[in-house]
Amino acid sequence: MKTEAPRGVRSSTRSLDLTAASRDLWPGGTLDFWQGREAPRPERVFWPESEEEVAEVLTAAAEQRVPVVPYGAGSGVCGGARGRPGAWVLDTKALAELGPVDETRWTVEAGAGVNGQQLEDWLQKHGFTLGHSPSSIWCSTVGGWAAARSAGQFSSRYGVFEDMVLALRAVSPGRGVFQVGEDGDAPDDWMPLLLGSEGTLGVITRVRMRIWPNPETRWLRGYRFSTVEAAIRAMRRLMQGELWPSVVRLYDPVDTRIGGKTKPKDPKARSGGNRRFLRRWLAEVDKLPSLRKRSLVLPLALPGLVNRIFDRVATGCLLIVGWEGRPAVVEALSKAGHKLLCEEGEDLGPEPGERWFQSRHAVSYKLMPIFERGGFADTMEVAARWSDLERLYEAVRDAVRETAVVMAHMSHVYPEGGSIYFSFAGRGDATVYQRTWDAALEAVLRVGGTVTHHHGVGHLKAHAASQEVGPAVAGWRALKAELDPQGILNPGRVYVDAPYRDPGPAVEVGLADGIVRTEPRRPLVERQARAASLNGELMWPWETLPPPPRWQRQPWQVGAVEVAGRVESKRCRLGRGPRSAAGPDLRDWLQKQDSRATVTEVLAPPGERWLGRGRPKAPWEVARDLLRHDLRPAILTVRDGELLVGFRGPAARSLGALAGAWVPGGLQEIDWESIPFPSGRLVPCSLDDPDVVWVLPQGAYKRGGDR
Amino acid sequence: MSSWWSTCALCPRLCRTSCPVATGSAREAAVPTLIASAMLAYERGKMSREEAAEAVSLCTDCGACQRRCHIDRPLPQALRDARRRLLNAPPIEPLRTLEGEGDWVAIEADERPLAQALAKQLGQPVRRWRTGDRLGVGAVEHAVWERQAARLRSHVGDGRVVVADGGVAHALSASGIGFSWLHEVVRGLPLGDGSCRTDGDRPLACCGAAGPLPLHHPEEAERVGRMWLARADEWRVSDARCRDHLRRCGGEVQDPLDALLEMQREG
Repeated sequence: MKTEAPRGVRSSTRSLDLTAASRDLWPGGTLDFWQGREAPRPERVFWPESEEEVAEVLTAAAEQRVPVVPYGAGSGVCGGARGRPGAWVLDTKALAELGPVDETRWTVEAGAGVNGQQLEDWLQKHGFTLGHSPSSIWCSTVGGWAAARSAGQFSSRYGVFEDMVLALRAVSPGRGVFQVGEDGDAPDDWMPLLLGSEGTLGVITRVRMRIWPNPETRWLRGYRFSTVEAAIRAMRRLMQGELWPSVVRLYDPVDTRIGGKTKPKDPKARSGGNRRFLRRWLAEVDKLPSLRKRSLVLPLALPGLVNRIFDRVATGCLLIVGWEGRPAVVEALSKAGHKLLCEEGEDLGPEPGERWFQSRHAVSYKLMPIFERGGFADTMEVAARWSDLERLYEAVRDAVRETAVVMAHMSHVYPEGGSIYFSFAGRGDATVYQRTWDAALEAVLRVGGTVTHHHGVGHLKAHAASQEVGPAVAGWRALKAELDPQGILNPGRVYVDAPYRDPGPAVEVGLADGIVRTEPRRPLVERQARAASLNGELMWPWETLPPPPRWQRQPWQVGAVEVAGRVESKRCRLGRGPRSAAGPDLRDWLQKQDSRATVTEVLAPPGERWLGRGRPKAPWEVARDLLRHDLRPAILTVRDGELLVGFRGPAARSLGALAGAWVPGGLQEIDWESIPFPSGRLVPCSLDDPDVVWVLPQGAYKRGGDR
Repeated sequence: MSSWWSTCALCPRLCRTSCPVATGSAREAAVPTLIASAMLAYERGKMSREEAAEAVSLCTDCGACQRRCHIDRPLPQALRDARRRLLNAPPIEPLRTLEGEGDWVAIEADERPLAQALAKQLGQPVRRWRTGDRLGVGAVEHAVWERQAARLRSHVGDGRVVVADGGVAHALSASGIGFSWLHEVVRGLPLGDGSCRTDGDRPLACCGAAGPLPLHHPEEAERVGRMWLARADEWRVSDARCRDHLRRCGGEVQDPLDALLEMQREG
């Protein structure tokens, strides 16, 4: 069928452009490309330069029922932006407006097509950072980050990408141009569904984000642990102790061994681990071109054997930890963290951390020689709560060990769990590739993890994500019917029809997992009592759940972690990992849908506490400034004109002393008490408004404005 | 299946950040990695010569892709070689006669009286050499250049050459002819903020005026120029070629020659 393109929008049907837009960075597509199999080619590529032009394209597509694939920089590794025969590709890169940056409020806006590193370079010139540093930062866009719910390497300090988003503008065939979040004209509860929707609900055109001043100092250090179990324990204590490192990266024994990561970089020492041997071997092989292209065929044909050899020779694992920000805060946090880590770990000094920092974006391009040499390489990032992490790690390794050489690291951790990032390499055969993925995803679902932490879903994980979400997919479908009634937006991506898979009953949890199961409609006092029965307290005691929308919270303050409920009498459990990017976030929708849904909330374990009070002249302004000084108090409020600032964990006292030094008139220590956080939707107000109840680095808020 | 292009073609397109054409045009096909993919496909017989030629000409030859490459791939040279094979050299106009007397030779690539201004500044006669095609710089990558270079060398003789234009400068460099920039001869003229390849480490260093792009894809060159104007802190450049290009893109851009002429007008 011949389609008619809107004339006013730049577009191309040139073969060169269609071929370029037919492929993203999904390694399965790379394998096809390398082996000479044609990627499905779209019919036309558009480069709209305004929201009006995006709307024109979508209207024309909807009228003619033409599928539309939104495309940023094509860095997705799950095939979410790969070509589709007969489709129109809507390339967002011409939506490239940088700024404005609001240096008073600490926000920035950018067009969806702005390249990540270009945005960061530009912000740095203004003295700010976004704090978002995915390894794809050189080859991804702001719109892509939002659409696929990206996470960067400093997520434990700055949050994952959806924590940074204050407002989104988007266009859909059913609604036209709209904005959600701050100053939004669309319902607030669209935001968690649009983030992670990968172009299936609308085309994101512009994003407003929080920013932070460039960190004044950075502290990085490596620690060696004898077992993965001991290292996981240390990470958990770090996060539950509210020490908020900027970097936490644990390499499993194989990754540590291959990367030579625990050895000092001394040419005289036997540095480099097995990587040095591999490099030499490959360098020798490369001298013979006929051998080069098949040099990895043999080892990758026997992955079971290679995995067994690695298991034998690999012992010990490397943990890299870092803090950044204001020197005094970094000193207080890193001192407490270092002491904690040295209880079971061996201090390797700053060198491993600094080495990682220098090459932190290198992973992606280091995989290409494997394709050239007859193999495939891919990565899978999954997540689970603390008590399931080791089981998840072993289950995935066992599932793929006969088809691929596998190693892993953990690079995103939270008080309530963490993610595991598996790297695998196998024989360059499409069937082996598919078998490896099927087995890996099945293992994740079996163990109860989430199938994707920050790579999105695309088409690769669409089936598994649909099974993970189960009948709650109805929440996405309902919004899709409104925004995309013709179903033209990126069909077949994110969610597909998949047979129901019972997730099992909601499990009881406790202090070790850092989460407690509560009934969200019960009053806070009852939820706190439940936490107390586990010898803890709620880390973020929201008066009611769900808490204020994400853009009105600090990046590290979460609401419900897992929501367990029923849709059409079928069980579903969302948020099995501490953070899941398995498509849109449907947890709030499920809570609204099922009045009997239960949730898990984050627990603060027993330990040191420090609470102080003071009477500065402008208490909310001082509170805002404490946040801008990089402090992350567990309590920060004003009661009867008194500023209350509280900290938990091993650094509580030293952080309290710092806060006291920064508050005019100082802070006087008082007995600890948990103070409720306000819930519901808040509205921005001035810092001296008498009704202020909440403060962020971006300003003050008062109650009201339900929508 | 391997070829020189394989390594680039399999890379996750990290060079896109530094490439002015990929950024300004927004075309995925202009990302250097994708150009390498096109060349790989051409070598495998899966892409036509015309398409491959189109791909390799989506380039300003600024070299940023190599400077910002994590493994320092010499992609710019490979693209020059490919263009030499795939593209026809553009026509070169006959060289014009040098006008006037003196040791100095000022090469004028636009309507502004560089030779006259320089003579006034130096207090010495300056010969004027006008060119309508920047001494044929569009053909610099092609086999015909050897003859053009010889012609240029004999034409200029032992004159002290002064230029204000990046295209002319490139043609002279490629011919082994020494020259000075206007701002090197007349001190104190304000320069640009790092555009025009005067700052090698700066990403997006080219405004779209250079290389094969304006010759083969003038509309894309304009888009690159508009992107540069939108992101530049100040609209001042060090190079007359960029000035002309950016003026066509809608910017009131100044270069050192503008500053010199203004200075002389004001006495």
